[in-house]
Amino acid sequence: MNPLTNPTASGVDNVLIYIFGSSLLLLAGITIVMIWFVIRYRRSKNPEPTSDVEGNLWLEITWTVLPTLIVLTMFWYGWVNYLGLRDVPEGAFEVRATGRMWSWQFEYENGRTSSKLYVPAGKPIKVILNSTDVLHSFFMPAFRIKRDTVPGIETYVWFQAPEVGSYDIFCTEYCGTGHADMITSAEILSPEEFTAWYSEKTTAQTVPRGRQLLEEQGCLGCHSFDGSSSIAPTFGKLKGVKREISTEGQKKEITIDTDYLRRAIRTPEVDLVEGFPPIMPAYGDEISESDLDEIINYLLEGDTGPVLDGNKLLEENGCFGCHSTDGSALVGPSFKGLKDRTTEVKRDGTELQLKVDADYLRRAIRQPNKEIVEDYPAIMPAANHLSDEEIDAIIKTLLKGADQQ
Amino acid sequence: MSETPSRYGGFFTESPRSGILGWVTSTDHKRIGLLYLGCIVTMFIVGAVLGLALRLQLFEPGTGIMEAQTYNATFTVHGVIMIFLFIIPSIPAAFGNLLLPIQIGARDVSFPRVNLLSWYCYIAGAILAVTAIFSGGGPPDTGWTFYVPFSTQTTTNVNLAVSAAFMLGFSSILTGINFVTTIHRLRCKGMGWGKLPLFVWTLYATAWIQVLATPMIGITLALIFVERIFGAGLFDVAKGGDPILFQHLFWIYSHPAVYIMILPGMGVISEIIPVFARKPLFGYWAMALSSLAIAFAGSLVWAHHMYASGMSDMAIMIFSFLTFIVAIPSAIKIFNWVSTLYKGSIQLAPPMLYALSFIFLFAIGGLGGLALGAAAADIHLHDTTFVVGHFHYTMFGGTGFAFFAALHYWLPKFFARMYNHKIATLAWALIFVGFNVTYMAMQAVGIQGMPRRYYDYLPQFGPLNMVATIGSWILAVGLIIMFVNLWRGIRYGTPVGKNPWGGATLEWEVPSPPPMENFGAEDPVVTRGPYDFKGVIADEP
Repeated sequence: MNPLTNPTASGVDNVLIYIFGSSLLLLAGITIVMIWFVIRYRRSKNPEPTSDVEGNLWLEITWTVLPTLIVLTMFWYGWVNYLGLRDVPEGAFEVRATGRMWSWQFEYENGRTSSKLYVPAGKPIKVILNSTDVLHSFFMPAFRIKRDTVPGIETYVWFQAPEVGSYDIFCTEYCGTGHADMITSAEILSPEEFTAWYSEKTTAQTVPRGRQLLEEQGCLGCHSFDGSSSIAPTFGKLKGVKREISTEGQKKEITIDTDYLRRAIRTPEVDLVEGFPPIMPAYGDEISESDLDEIINYLLEGDTGPVLDGNKLLEENGCFGCHSTDGSALVGPSFKGLKDRTTEVKRDGTELQLKVDADYLRRAIRQPNKEIVEDYPAIMPAANHLSDEEIDAIIKTLLKGADQQ
Repeated sequence: MSETPSRYGGFFTESPRSGILGWVTSTDHKRIGLLYLGCIVTMFIVGAVLGLALRLQLFEPGTGIMEAQTYNATFTVHGVIMIFLFIIPSIPAAFGNLLLPIQIGARDVSFPRVNLLSWYCYIAGAILAVTAIFSGGGPPDTGWTFYVPFSTQTTTNVNLAVSAAFMLGFSSILTGINFVTTIHRLRCKGMGWGKLPLFVWTLYATAWIQVLATPMIGITLALIFVERIFGAGLFDVAKGGDPILFQHLFWIYSHPAVYIMILPGMGVISEIIPVFARKPLFGYWAMALSSLAIAFAGSLVWAHHMYASGMSDMAIMIFSFLTFIVAIPSAIKIFNWVSTLYKGSIQLAPPMLYALSFIFLFAIGGLGGLALGAAAADIHLHDTTFVVGHFHYTMFGGTGFAFFAALHYWLPKFFARMYNHKIATLAWALIFVGFNVTYMAMQAVGIQGMPRRYYDYLPQFGPLNMVATIGSWILAVGLIIMFVNLWRGIRYGTPVGKNPWGGATLEWEVPSPPPMENFGAEDPVVTRGPYDFKGVIADEP
């Protein structure tokens, strides 16, 4: 056990010490008396029994009542200390933990998510538990706390770490193939480190400047990224696209580039895109030259959504719980060297050789059990909660070579 | 070899039918008992081999000899076999059938044909369980507890495994009904309730649990079917169900079931200790009534398996309280056994060695149970390898050792041959040492925080796991020597008479092997107590 002293652990340890201690005394007593009788009254020394006593009421009463009193103190002590595990101190910092086959996700009040539990030292932490699939159990041995995560029902634990450190978190409710790999850690940070970590930008919040400007300037009121707007041309896939415009009544075809976009923003009335009303206001001084560059850069190079970090997504979604990045086979095939891999899969009972490419990976994520890779069990949960953009980012990273921090 | 055709064959030779049919259609309680015994020992060996494989996998951190999925299937099958096919039927179905009628002076059980039917249910269950391993989506991987929602989602062969457990439940219920009726109706003249051997008392308490609790597991397992096949949503929050409800239903049977497993073992110990101390059992009525108390109170403590499940705190308080109450009758038994030794004339024959080590091991198991019963302590220990060590102390160190004691005590009765005592003592010593090394190390690594059902573990749990695995090898060697010695004993051992130990219960008054219908032309009349050794003399060795 860990020598760490913290409120939950010391409560539980007191009970353990009390019960194990008295048990040891009882066991020693029983064993010594038994062995002494066996030696003292062995047949070679005591060929015939020297007593034929059949019982003794007072003895029976004594060894009924005394143990009852002893175990009732154990019950009471155990119960009182259990209450200490349930009563969360005022002002506890709350984190939501979600168990899923076979990884943990932690979500903070500001929307930040992580696969490890980052919390400040010296502050009570309440971990609210839930599960997306089957039963799991959240167990931190160093703090002696444990609670099942039940799909659809919220449970909780609390703990408080006096100092900085890293402690194991296990799943202790059997949940299938990856049960033993459903391990993460609680990283106890100093309050300053934690504040810094907590305010770091997360995947979802990393919005490029160009995109931010598009929103601030209200461009997205008329322009869409997916062509759904009928009053203004789409922002989706602009680079190198040919487009019909009319300049002073003259129709011509141009290729979208930096110069064109600059004109289209500063002097939109000059070149009009066919099929859309000439209603765009000109943006003069409202946008500085550098901001304009950001916007243009974003429109030409940027993604159509926020820039997503594939590695972060892989980590947050617990993919590394079953897939390694070093070539070793865990529950699922390794991510190492995916782009040059030809994989043998079974689809509807027939064996196929497939080249690993973006399409294959998309199928493998969306419908993982349609095509089963040889030698691996059909157990991967379908990632239905991920958006197309997130999956694209993951695939891009996988083909480039995922990197687990 | 030394098989002399002129030897008295008892129920082995007296049968209306000869050959294999004479066995599989026999309604004789001794033949059915031996059929059970053969199957149960076979199942124990299969389960033990799987258990050794599990320990081998955990020898050191890393992948070891099996993949995660194989490991999960292995511990599931190990659990299902050991619980449903070995421990539950072990003592009641094998030794209960062999001995209950003789010990109460009856010629057979009340319903001999139902008795045979129960064996067929057992065989059907065993066949289903084995089929589940080798067919469908692969061996079941849910653990023997079949917890939802995992058990309703996994693609492995849970349906068949569940049907197997369902079928075995019927076998258990039929045996229970038979025993309750037999004990009430077929006691011979003079066999009052105060003269029943303690083994019969424990079988009686056990039989009531079998009859009353087993239907619960049948219903619960049937509900898994309803979930898996029709998606009824009984245990699915999204459909208005509750996954914790399953755990309640499961443990309402499965906790009393641990008393089905241990009570007959306690009965065996209560038979053996007086005989080898040549002294009446201390506190006869305390022993008899504590068996009933265990059966009753044991039915009210099921939710102590669920302190961490998300169940309400009030429920935890109540179940923790009741759990400590059920510890009392077990403690009373231990004190009475030890007191029986006082001023006795103690002979350390192999059955007695197993009986005395039962007391030690069961005490460790029971005391460990106190830590698990206390709400706060259980939160840390729950679902760690401490629990695994703990229940092996009670189930294997308890029931298993009682079963071995029973084998050494009664096999010479039914085969009229004695095994080699020196080899038996050596085997006992190896088993005892190997057992403690294995399971004490498991308990210790559990206190360190290693979760159970892990095929691989973090390096800090390495040393103790290695110790446990080495212990399992010592245990295995001991078991092999024990079984070989017993087998050689019943085949080629020295012939012995009807009462080699000097026992005072009725089975030692009939010839060895006992004849069909146990007693000659006249029913016995009992005038003395089961532990009244005055004038009872053991056969000269």
